[in-house]
Amino acid sequence: MKKFSKVIVLLLALSMVLSFAACGGGNEETTAGNDEGTTNNGAALEYDLSKEGDYTADNTEYVIGATGPLTGDTASYGISVQQGAQLAVDEINAAGGLNGVNFKLDMKDDKSTAADASTGYDALYEAGMQASIGSVTSGSAESFATRADEDGVFSLTPSASADKVINASDYAFRVCFGDPDNGILSAEKLAAEYENIGVIYDTSDAYSSGIYDAFKAKMAELNVTYIEQSFDAENNRDFSTQVEALKDCDVIFLPIYYTEAGLIAKACVAKGCDAFLFGCDGLDGVADQIDATVTNKISYLTPFDVKSEDAKVSAFVTAYETKYGSNPDQFAADGYDAVYAIFEAMKALGVDNVKVDPAELGKALTAQFTSADFSYEGVTGGMKWDTTGACVKDPIIVELQ
Amino acid sequence: MSILFDGLSLGAIYALIALGYTMVYGIAKMLNFAHGDIIMVGAYAVFVTLISGGHIALAIGLSVIICVIMGVVVEKFAYKPLRGASPLAVLITAIGVSYLLQSISQLVFGAEPKTVTIASLGAITLFGAKISVSSIVTLVIGAVIMAGLTVFVKKTRTGRAMVAVSEDKGAAMLMGINVNKIISITFAIGSALAAAASLFYLMQIPSVEPTLGSMPGIKAFTAAVIGGIGSIPGAMIGGVLLGVIEKICLSVPVLAPYTTAVEFGLLIVILLVRPIGLLGKKRREKV
Amino acid sequence: MIKSILKSDDFKIKNFINYIVIAAALVVCIILFQAGELKTSYVNLLVQIGYSIILAVSLNLVVGFLGELSLGHAGFMCVGAYLGTFISIQLSEVIESKVICLLISMIFGGLIAAVFGFLVGLPALRLKGDYLAIVTLAFGEIVRTVFKNLPKELFGGAMGLSTNAVKFTKRDIPLFIIVFIVVILTLFFVQNLVRSKHGRAITAIRDNEIAAKAMGINVTFYKLFVFVIAAFFAGVAGVFYGHYATPVMYTFFSYNYSIEILVMVVLGGMGSINGSIIAATLIPIINYKLQEKLPGDLAALKFLIYAVILIGIVIFNNAPKLAPIKERLSVKALIAKVTAKNRKPEDILNDPAHWDRIPTKIAMDEVLSTDIQPGNEYVPDKPAKGGK
Repeated sequence: MKKFSKVIVLLLALSMVLSFAACGGGNEETTAGNDEGTTNNGAALEYDLSKEGDYTADNTEYVIGATGPLTGDTASYGISVQQGAQLAVDEINAAGGLNGVNFKLDMKDDKSTAADASTGYDALYEAGMQASIGSVTSGSAESFATRADEDGVFSLTPSASADKVINASDYAFRVCFGDPDNGILSAEKLAAEYENIGVIYDTSDAYSSGIYDAFKAKMAELNVTYIEQSFDAENNRDFSTQVEALKDCDVIFLPIYYTEAGLIAKACVAKGCDAFLFGCDGLDGVADQIDATVTNKISYLTPFDVKSEDAKVSAFVTAYETKYGSNPDQFAADGYDAVYAIFEAMKALGVDNVKVDPAELGKALTAQFTSADFSYEGVTGGMKWDTTGACVKDPIIVELQ
Repeated sequence: MSILFDGLSLGAIYALIALGYTMVYGIAKMLNFAHGDIIMVGAYAVFVTLISGGHIALAIGLSVIICVIMGVVVEKFAYKPLRGASPLAVLITAIGVSYLLQSISQLVFGAEPKTVTIASLGAITLFGAKISVSSIVTLVIGAVIMAGLTVFVKKTRTGRAMVAVSEDKGAAMLMGINVNKIISITFAIGSALAAAASLFYLMQIPSVEPTLGSMPGIKAFTAAVIGGIGSIPGAMIGGVLLGVIEKICLSVPVLAPYTTAVEFGLLIVILLVRPIGLLGKKRREKV
Repeated sequence: MIKSILKSDDFKIKNFINYIVIAAALVVCIILFQAGELKTSYVNLLVQIGYSIILAVSLNLVVGFLGELSLGHAGFMCVGAYLGTFISIQLSEVIESKVICLLISMIFGGLIAAVFGFLVGLPALRLKGDYLAIVTLAFGEIVRTVFKNLPKELFGGAMGLSTNAVKFTKRDIPLFIIVFIVVILTLFFVQNLVRSKHGRAITAIRDNEIAAKAMGINVTFYKLFVFVIAAFFAGVAGVFYGHYATPVMYTFFSYNYSIEILVMVVLGGMGSINGSIIAATLIPIINYKLQEKLPGDLAALKFLIYAVILIGIVIFNNAPKLAPIKERLSVKALIAKVTAKNRKPEDILNDPAHWDRIPTKIAMDEVLSTDIQPGNEYVPDKPAKGGK
């Protein structure tokens, strides 16, 4: 056994060495970005869009990278983003791309972990990624943005709402609302309109606890009391206790994702609780998770309404349904908008170099996104970006039933 | 009061799954990590039958048949070649099978959770608390299955052969028992129990996704160990205990975020006091 | 003790071949890196391989040498990753150099994890087999639940602990160099341990605890010792993780990751340190390659392929019926044939290596059965003096 193992160790070491030698793709430039400060000072950046990148030398299309959970517990979110973004890429290409050059979406699985988002980033960068839509969940997106910052790669995350994500890099932006915005808006609305307020939040999820923290602070500031219940999405799937405790509330605030919200709605039926269920953008998609037995009034704060009359939105919904056979949710819409926003910005910049260096494009896109006259009208509403990378847009309240 | 009943009905589900774990462990001496995923397969069988317009009875029947076939096939192809190899190798294979079933169901059904509507059995009021009938049914059926299993193991020829195999495989073989057949039968029974568990799971938590089985699987494993792994009434008691504890923790806001820690802490305490679980069998150690 | 570890070693080149191979690979990688021929993905992959080796080798001490199944190794790593990196972040405010922060916090992270190892080792004195396995699993889950709920200002709560202050970037010394130096130190320690009389005592406990006790081996001490050592190295691996990836999130350290480490140990062969090294090298590479080659819609296949590879390798390696086929294909048999003349039965007593050839297959019935002695209460072993 020993000798055999040693032979293998030797062979392995040899093959490792050889593969490193074979794969080594020339010198990487260390970008002289600075880590300090979180403001994306676009005006000060100088860029050269004619420069070619080392890893992008073989590109025949503009490559947009992304990572997200495509397997595992949170796979449904990642797959939605992937489908929405892919639809946008297909539409852009069908319409002739950018000056005749097509786009390509390259999305790697990160199982919602920071380590896999980091290796996914490596794989993307070396496969010629020029700009990215970051990652889907907050932890991975922070990891992705930190790595992207080292190379100066632009990232526009569709759905990672924690402020840490956009603070991690000068080149990190987002499409969705931030967690604190959601929490504060909800607290204001609920405190003004209702008396008996209950909350169920997910202690295991960054999104949920991010909103809840802001909500809690705002409620304390407004001096309004509420009943608090929590769960841990990894371990609890049965919500009877939480609903039982909040049975007599007028409204239950759900700063959580639609999968659990659907289960809570059904637990309400079982417990005979008819409280109004109110949530944030994560609740979008809950319509497919409930059935006719649920009679509770449900509404949520979101920039995207699948039933909207708006021509752009209905065209998107129809196209998505034709391609994937289901209604798009918030994640899909955000993914779709993220790709289009990058496309529009590149168009405005007049990018005409398929081998453009990711760092140069990163600087150019950052300058473009933070410039005062850049805005983008997407399926999740009209968007502008501030210097921190946060997206400024108006929420609407969607009433489900 | 209501918390207690919620805990009981959740515990009944854990208990049903734990029964399957404990059966397989008792006979084949292996931790079948894929047991939770057999439940997931059963839940998808129920889901598919119901959306294609089948009756609930048909769904139950199909779910049991598919789970049994799945259990036996998995046993034949993944575990049988390893008979006689180290149990750790079998454990790793079981984990591989678990990944395999999860990824296949994601490929077939997608990652999106699917809603399953099982006609509600309504609710009754007992001791001033509203209790859904389905939780009572779960408890009763769980108890019936447990009693049936005990009788089966004690009274029938096959059942006694199972006990013999679990006591001493070699001696059982010498007594003319077909050990391979007995192990296959055990897997079939374990899988049928998983199918039953999947139905009750869906009554309580009406949503199915590829990773459905992993969490209840691990909880049921815990329950089986608390009760004394290999013991049928132990699995039942362990499951119910775990369900009730979970619900009590969740109802106390300060404790709620630590629910998992409390459950596993309880396990450690029980094992330190009784190292073989509540109803486990003592074994003599020989040199 | 270190003296006896050193003394027991018969300084032969074949006992050092794995250090030499790893050191040579490291030197080659450093040269390539200096020449700019090493892609970032490989630089990062090397870090993953490095901490995986530390994890697998230390878990092998528990599973392969002590013969106790542990499903909570990721829990020790979690302790190291959170607390070690936390210490490092605090240090970074006074110490400029990330390397020094890393080295100091590595020791602290390892020591704190070792304390937890001691705590988990205590039930190991009373429990055996699957009962101990579930206790280690429970420990891992408890640890990460607690870290999730610790004050947000300190550990980030569900958001995870951001480690940007100390994370190694492209502008720092590549982390893999430090990781691999620690790998070699780990190997030095572990390998000398298992070859020493302490190692023989540990394997004796694995093979038959009662007989070992009868021979005067202090079972209590060695069981705790192994858990403490394994936890220490897992904690060190955790500190590396914290300096490699940001944020440190409690979700990563679930029992699934413990199982992934166990997979490395079992695939490499229980009780085979070189086997663990090979498996811990291959699994991150397989994971990375699958992630790289299967983007988008194909990602679901990734899991499927991983599962098929896993089942295939385990069945091929362990199925009794496939043993003849395996023997025919094995390089080992070929080498044995070539070197047969050195293995004359009458020379076996003079063969200095024969006793430490630890078999990869253990009679696991012994290990995993719940053998509780009839009715007796646990009495701590008195350190045996005369027997040694």
